[in-house]
Amino acid sequence: MLAYTLRRIAQLVPVLLVLSVAVFAFVEALPGSIVDTLVGTEGGDIEEARAILTKEYGLDRPVHERYVLWLGRALQGDLGKSLVTRRPISTELLSRIPATVYLASVGIVLSMLIAVPLGTFAAVRRNSAVDYTAQVTSLAGISIPEFWFAILCVLLFSLYLGWLPSSGYVSPLEDFWGSLQFLILPAAAIGFRQAAFTTRLTRSSMLDELSKEYVDTARSLGHSERKVIFKYTLRNAMIPTITISGLQLANLLGGTVVLESIFAWPGIGRAIFEAILQRDYPLIQAGVLVLGVIVVVMNLLVDLTYRLLNPRVKLA
Amino acid sequence: MSELQADKLVDGTLARHAPPAPLRSRRLFTALSNAWHELRKSRTASIGAVMLVLLFGACIGTPWLATHDPIKQNYRERLQPPSAKHLLGTDRLGRDIYSRLLYGGRRLVTIAVVAVALSLLVGVPFGVLTGYFGGLADTIGMRIVDGLLAFPGLLLYLLFVTVAQAWKLEGAMVDVVLVSALALAGMPEKARLARGSVLAEKQKEYVEASRAVGDSSVRIALSQILPNIISPLIVTSTVRLGFVILIVAALSFLGLGTPPPTPDWGSDLSAARDYMETHPLIAAFPGLAICYTVLAFNLFGDGLRDILDPRIAER
Repeated sequence: MLAYTLRRIAQLVPVLLVLSVAVFAFVEALPGSIVDTLVGTEGGDIEEARAILTKEYGLDRPVHERYVLWLGRALQGDLGKSLVTRRPISTELLSRIPATVYLASVGIVLSMLIAVPLGTFAAVRRNSAVDYTAQVTSLAGISIPEFWFAILCVLLFSLYLGWLPSSGYVSPLEDFWGSLQFLILPAAAIGFRQAAFTTRLTRSSMLDELSKEYVDTARSLGHSERKVIFKYTLRNAMIPTITISGLQLANLLGGTVVLESIFAWPGIGRAIFEAILQRDYPLIQAGVLVLGVIVVVMNLLVDLTYRLLNPRVKLA
Repeated sequence: MSELQADKLVDGTLARHAPPAPLRSRRLFTALSNAWHELRKSRTASIGAVMLVLLFGACIGTPWLATHDPIKQNYRERLQPPSAKHLLGTDRLGRDIYSRLLYGGRRLVTIAVVAVALSLLVGVPFGVLTGYFGGLADTIGMRIVDGLLAFPGLLLYLLFVTVAQAWKLEGAMVDVVLVSALALAGMPEKARLARGSVLAEKQKEYVEASRAVGDSSVRIALSQILPNIISPLIVTSTVRLGFVILIVAALSFLGLGTPPPTPDWGSDLSAARDYMETHPLIAAFPGLAICYTVLAFNLFGDGLRDILDPRIAER
């Protein structure tokens, strides 16, 4: 396991390099240079300012040197400064991460709370009314665009019924109950959609497990059906569900751009979205890089957990 | 058929008197009816197929089906409920929603189909060749694929869209950039799938036979192995089409797609938000259209998977 883990970590290096090259190339692909943007707002002697800034940002050097410099700084946690707020990007992004993690993890927990019982029940009572309902709703859930679902929720629960605020954010550390009010709608929008995927998965892996011989053995030993299902089958069937939920969580950290902007949720996805609107290119670059790294690392963790949970998988 | 048998009786072989090739239209009809017969095995697939036929019919027939100019504004008739004149009512600028839906759908489906076709065109040869040759080519190829997969959610598209905006691209060029981003993002899935199947197929006898005959490696990879891995590719591409439609709609919902007044389900939905409380129908139609389209692709893809992979169908 240790050798495997080390090898997987070593494999991350080229992936992260590809990621960093892509993100670096993004800024290179933009028209003009960052100096034009900066000079425009500084005033004074334009030519002199240009020369100073060009030197400061190392734009007089060739591309590959700039890449190495940029990467070196990024590795030390220096992601440059935001063009809009002039604050260090690392501080800007760090302050946004908790909100995103909070929303994404609650959403995933919610989706598992829906998906696991529903998927299990659908598999155990196969071809029953519950099974069909679960299948139809999960297919619908996959096909509904999340932003439309979110809008409909806002329409129903905030505008018509007035039960919940339509958007906003309060940190759970400041006011836990107050923050729940704002959390419910976006988390439900994430939870239902992700549950649509995991319900299908739980159902099919449950069916897979139920057809295995050890289930017959357990039954023939006289264990109650409840024990067979909950103690033996479900445990095995949960492995793929947990794995996929982990991957979903990783993906959500970067994928909540739409929901965060609908619900005015001050997460990292919205930070990137706002940066796009304000043309704050260094912030976009750094944001995508940070999220990419988080996703790659999360994927590795999920993969390792999967091997731990399922020793039958060969460490190939 | 009786002709065939008669030939067989006279000559003892079939090859010398091949039956006359059936008319092209006849052949197409046979192929379609065979396909339909296969599809009937899965209810999901047949429902999906019917929904898709209607969808593509509407996309192709848009100029004839549309009742109004989708861009023309008419302030006297703004925010009207559905009527005989405006089948689905009008939006905040008095534009006919029904016609906008048709034109928007035509554009969206075209973008999705082109993007997925491109990702197949790039991804499949990429995966087949890296899988077939293995070694260094494989290692480098797969690391590139992993790197592309490291962009979660919408981020890769956001980068492309930002570059397009910075260059002040307009109209069709924006769509070109978007399609390239979608194709690039869809490529890894196809490449991995193709590579995995090639690794499995490579060991089989027919590949060895063709190598023994002296076929070149590229030829074997593309003309012998590729046809054998087509069914999983069809299934994933169908599901991917639905997914791509969701992504494009989400981007234009965020205001990062083609700028107005181009009819677009995502941006129309976003614009309708301001009138949602008083005129909920305006926001309902584009949303329903997206649901219908994605559902059609998902149903069809799900059903196809059941048909093509009998192991799953047993469940």
